[in-house]
Amino acid sequence: MAESSNTTRSLSLLVDKHVEYIKSLDKRQDELEYWMTEHLRISGIYWGLVALKLLDRDSALDKQQVIDYILSCQNTDGGFGGHCGHDSHLLYTMSAVQVLSMYGALDKIESSRVVDYVISLQDIETGEICGDEWGERDTRFAFIAVAILSFFGALSRLDSDRIVEYVVRSMNYDGGFGSGPGGESHAAQVYTCLACLAILGRLDVVDRERLSAWLAERQLPSGGFNGRPQKLEDVCYSWWVLSSLRILGRVHWVDCSRVCNFVLDAQEPDSGGIADRPGNVPDVYHTCFGIAGLSLAGYEDYPLKDVDPVYCMPIECIESSGLRSWINNVPKSWSQEKS
Amino acid sequence: MRVEGSEDVCEAAPLSQQEEWRDVTPIPQDDGKHPICPIAYTDDYREMMDYLRAVMAKEEISERALELTGRVIQANPGHYTVWVYRKRLVEELNADIAGELNWVSSISAMYPKNYQLWHHREALIVRLLDPKQATEGQSETELLRHPVIRRELQFLDNAINEDSKNFHAWSYRQWLVSTYNIWEQELIFVNTMINEDVRNNSAWNQRYFVILQGRNPAQVELDSELVSGEIVYTVENIKFAPNNESPWSYIIGLLLRHAPGKLYTDLLPKIQTLANNKDYSLAMTTTQFYWSALVDIYEQQARELPEQGKALLEKAQSICHNLAIEHDPMHGKYWEFRSTSLSV
Repeated sequence: MAESSNTTRSLSLLVDKHVEYIKSLDKRQDELEYWMTEHLRISGIYWGLVALKLLDRDSALDKQQVIDYILSCQNTDGGFGGHCGHDSHLLYTMSAVQVLSMYGALDKIESSRVVDYVISLQDIETGEICGDEWGERDTRFAFIAVAILSFFGALSRLDSDRIVEYVVRSMNYDGGFGSGPGGESHAAQVYTCLACLAILGRLDVVDRERLSAWLAERQLPSGGFNGRPQKLEDVCYSWWVLSSLRILGRVHWVDCSRVCNFVLDAQEPDSGGIADRPGNVPDVYHTCFGIAGLSLAGYEDYPLKDVDPVYCMPIECIESSGLRSWINNVPKSWSQEKS
Repeated sequence: MRVEGSEDVCEAAPLSQQEEWRDVTPIPQDDGKHPICPIAYTDDYREMMDYLRAVMAKEEISERALELTGRVIQANPGHYTVWVYRKRLVEELNADIAGELNWVSSISAMYPKNYQLWHHREALIVRLLDPKQATEGQSETELLRHPVIRRELQFLDNAINEDSKNFHAWSYRQWLVSTYNIWEQELIFVNTMINEDVRNNSAWNQRYFVILQGRNPAQVELDSELVSGEIVYTVENIKFAPNNESPWSYIIGLLLRHAPGKLYTDLLPKIQTLANNKDYSLAMTTTQFYWSALVDIYEQQARELPEQGKALLEKAQSICHNLAIEHDPMHGKYWEFRSTSLSV
């Protein structure tokens, strides 16, 4: 197999640069991209905070300021918008809950209002979950609804059998999952389905061997992963594929050192941040998932915090929230192999 | 409603100088007292947003509000709050749906990966052509002549031509095909797509969707002749490019789900014939997908024919060993595991 160029260079994780890059994000208000991403600012903060937490450098953000900002994005329906004044959406409600949880500040919100908001999005007839009042359905939303409720110990409020049924109907002949029944398998959708089933303790419905093999097949000679056959590799799939493989207990089926090199090669050496692939412009989303991918791949040259593959947050945060118990519900026959 | 082109947006005078907007007091963005989130807009965009906030605040239902949402979406289609407002405006103003479709098509061309526009489109189509009435009274041939359906299929052909793996376009296509029961044309479409690019995994996925007619796989029993036809079709396509994950994955997955016995009674002899044919043998026997298929097939055969089980599993194990060392060393650990986990 051809050696990719990066294996000959010694690449290290540019920790200080990435911290500076994330800190600079809210100071770039003269740039077009800044206001174009307004509607997902709250997710931007989540991605930045996860990256900093995994680097053990979260003091770079002003905790109180972030908490106040997040709280200002909550709407009267109980959900959170992507920015103050925006409509509620499950995606941003999830980011808000994750950020507050990482700061130990979930008690700052009235949990019943958030829970009621999430419950209101389950279609009573089909059991499917909508993203917002707009009504889009997607396996992503099934995962997010389940994850949010788990933070508040309110899973019993949801018709989880119907959700499992919906996820199972979205399983394809290759073992993977799509955005809904019939949708093509896609590594990011695979992650959301596995994470959803993990929280509900229903990983038994998965075709573990077939899905693991499909995921392993996503690794390309560059070391990076693609999300579907015949697509280009992208740093974010280092997270979607490795988190899925970790849930399945099969990370060791892929070549982790090559993934690490691929991610490191996509770092922006001057301004910091990680891009989708080497040579491209970095963004906070790929910076987060690149670093989380490195953590799962067992990157050794910097003491990254361990990341929980279901919640995409540091394991220590998930443990202190009492949510790590999903691991006890993995089918017994799977004996979580150490990778 | 007038359909806007992007040049209109650039050239239009600022709203503050337009007579039509004189009665509206724009509402500037309130960034709160938390400086972590101040939003600094470019001037044009800021002005649009200030007016948008003003009309949304009073829930104004008007043509000018509709036009304004169009401008904002055109500048930033991910702004989901505006879509919700626009949908309401279209409904309550009883806006011309054909015009709205033209507009949403122009947005699709600019932003093929936007999520909201596909959902918006779905809602418009249902209003134009009630699925229940359409499918009860008309055959597929008649429906295919209906201007709404013709237009949607044409629109999708263009979108998929532009990006043959566009996740949103394929997913919308599934919605259209199953909502209006137009399955026969879809099989023809899938054949064309696979002919154009045998490696298009989206097309193979769509093939399965069509074969099942969108039904729940767990509840479908496929006709034996249909399955045999799929084997012939797939093997023909494997022939063009044996080192192509998609058709292998399709046929093995389909047979494991719906006709496991045919793995060894039907598929096995066909791929072995190909592997023994001098024109194809090199390409077949050097791809991991051929060997990997044999492992699945022998494992299934061993399950169904216990008297030959031991010999078949040994064959499969030896293939796993070769895969780990020779054909697919990158997944060596997987093949080692597969070898030890083989069982009836």
